[in-house]
Amino acid sequence: MARIQQGNGLQSSESKSFKGTTESLAKHEDNSSDSDVNGIDNEVQTDKYGFIEGAQQYSSNSAEDIPPEILRQREAKWLDMLNNWDKWMAKKHKKMKVRCQKGIPPSLRGRAWLYLSGGKVKREQNPGKFQELDSQPGDPRWLDVIEKDLHRQFPFHEMFVARGGHGQQDLFRVLKAYTLHRPEEGYCQAQAPIAAVLLMHMPAEDAFWGLVQICEKYLPGYYSAGLEAIQLDGEIQFALLKRVSPVAHRHLKKHKIEPILYMTEWFMCAFSRTLPWASVLRVWDMFFCEGVKIIFRVGLVLLKCMLGTQEKLKAYQGLYESMELLRHIEPRYMHETFLVNEVVELPVSERDIEKEHLAQLRRWKETRGELHCKSPPRMHGARAIMTAEPPSRQDLRQNPTIIVESPVATATTTTTGNEGGRGSSAEDEKGKKSKRKKKTGKEEEREKEQEQKQAQAQTADAVPPPPAAEGPSPFPALAEPEDIPSVLGSLQSLSSVEHDTYL
Amino acid sequence: MSETYDFLFKFLVIGNAGTGKSCLLHQFIEKRFKEDSNHTIGVEFGSKIISVVNKFVKLQIWDTAGQERFRSVTRSYYRGAAGALLVYDITSRETYNALTNWLTDARMLASQNIVIILCGNKKDLDADREVTFLEASRFAQENELMFLETSALTGENVEEAFVQCARKILNKIESELDPERMGSGIQYGDAALRQLRSPRRAQAQSAQECGC
Repeated sequence: MARIQQGNGLQSSESKSFKGTTESLAKHEDNSSDSDVNGIDNEVQTDKYGFIEGAQQYSSNSAEDIPPEILRQREAKWLDMLNNWDKWMAKKHKKMKVRCQKGIPPSLRGRAWLYLSGGKVKREQNPGKFQELDSQPGDPRWLDVIEKDLHRQFPFHEMFVARGGHGQQDLFRVLKAYTLHRPEEGYCQAQAPIAAVLLMHMPAEDAFWGLVQICEKYLPGYYSAGLEAIQLDGEIQFALLKRVSPVAHRHLKKHKIEPILYMTEWFMCAFSRTLPWASVLRVWDMFFCEGVKIIFRVGLVLLKCMLGTQEKLKAYQGLYESMELLRHIEPRYMHETFLVNEVVELPVSERDIEKEHLAQLRRWKETRGELHCKSPPRMHGARAIMTAEPPSRQDLRQNPTIIVESPVATATTTTTGNEGGRGSSAEDEKGKKSKRKKKTGKEEEREKEQEQKQAQAQTADAVPPPPAAEGPSPFPALAEPEDIPSVLGSLQSLSSVEHDTYL
Repeated sequence: MSETYDFLFKFLVIGNAGTGKSCLLHQFIEKRFKEDSNHTIGVEFGSKIISVVNKFVKLQIWDTAGQERFRSVTRSYYRGAAGALLVYDITSRETYNALTNWLTDARMLASQNIVIILCGNKKDLDADREVTFLEASRFAQENELMFLETSALTGENVEEAFVQCARKILNKIESELDPERMGSGIQYGDAALRQLRSPRRAQAQSAQECGC
């Protein structure tokens, strides 16, 4: 176990590499002796996100590689934010938003999501709740449906590939706990991919609270019986499309293509089953910070790109043909750099959505009567959630879930180099192909940061070994507080010394 | 490249979650079993041209999400379907018990003349069977459905299910069914247009344009 924890050190790649490793161990248990941590590299080729290579449309080779030194710097910034969360939320929310748009560093993504969503606060305020739900048997009516879906969530992700493996077990626990938490809601099949994406980044208890926040704050009513909220959002998006792309709007209208025909899966799964994986993560980074407006914008961008010009539409007259077109979105429109740029720039605000919400709600009541399902009001992002349910300082305190004892850490330090945790292999990959992409205007700031870092980075080990959480480990930017000011120069001020022990 | 076919039929695949609807569709189109697939959220679709009684028929198949919760959404796919595969799982009585609900939806929301074939899927799992062939076949008779037991895994009876359903629709066209009626779920293809001489040709074209 110690080795696994080591492999999942701070520098590498978030809690998912920990999960991934154990999962793979579980999977190979029957035909080989376990404890071969390197096994995954020898037996199953996965990409840096854990998808088995060549088997999954979600993987994208084009995923942009961020130079390690930039990543280190971003990690330092994020650690500072996480350590001073309330201050950042109150006073520097704009900057936080920009950082989410740039992408949360993989090593901290799970934790950042949990903080942004308010799941962290929920967890602190309900100690033992998940364990309590977890120990109950659950309603067989839901269990049956959940069980049927366990092997159908990202079946080509190493975490979920093994029938009855740890990933599928955790998925079951999280989904079951939700049906016990909200027995009147029960289980909706579209919750499974959401929970699965969360589980790729955090332990089951955290994923549960993340799911709770998505279902109740970000997308209330999406998974409730009748699916009224999703239909309403379909109408809202369609109305917004009229402004964003009149051509696309006219086309959909002409062929009587109702929004729910194309946007149900997009919205209910927050694009996790539509976009290449690098883009899914970037979209979720922004979604957790800014709320449902991001989902609307991604949908609008895709519609605009695919149906936005007359020439394109000529060959796709008709409902079926148009649906086919939307099912096969051109990769260039889904590439994370392009997509994130478009999404950030699209002028569709919370107010636009709320305004249209009221208009569509009025129309709904006129044509179909009252809504059957009363959902709580939607919260547009991290700040709204935090304002609605203010946390105490205690709630935001960092509680490391795993602490590696120093002696263990030192004893295994020598093996970490070729340990083959997924995270570090991802780093290697980054090191190998550090080819520079053409920078867009948006990237200029990064470029600048990079130049300033260059000299420093050369002296430091580009790929430092994974540090033990509290051990003497040499994670240059973080473990040696006195370096921080010089590392970051005047670019960023770090208000406190980092004590990061979360794995 | 334009495809040549005589007719285009809109088909549905409906039934409870986990009965193998998407796998049936996949087996029919790709001729192989989809080992690890996502469950359907919203809709999947596919099309294939088959040859039935000297006619080329293009099937445009809509495969729907099975969970009860999605029914309000999937109902919007029903409009103007000419044929449907109503699927249950022979190893799950629950999926069989739900058939009446699905049937009501289909008859109410698709075209009145919709031709439905009942498919008892997972025929390969005979050891776990909970619904007998006889029982289901009686149900089919009572409700004027065609009936086959299928296996999306081995491919047994999968093509047959689609072909039989299409054949029955063709028969109906020759006797009672008017494809040009709104919402029939049937369109003429190019080949049919070429064969038809005026004045019917003009009618056929207008039928196509109205997009029904």
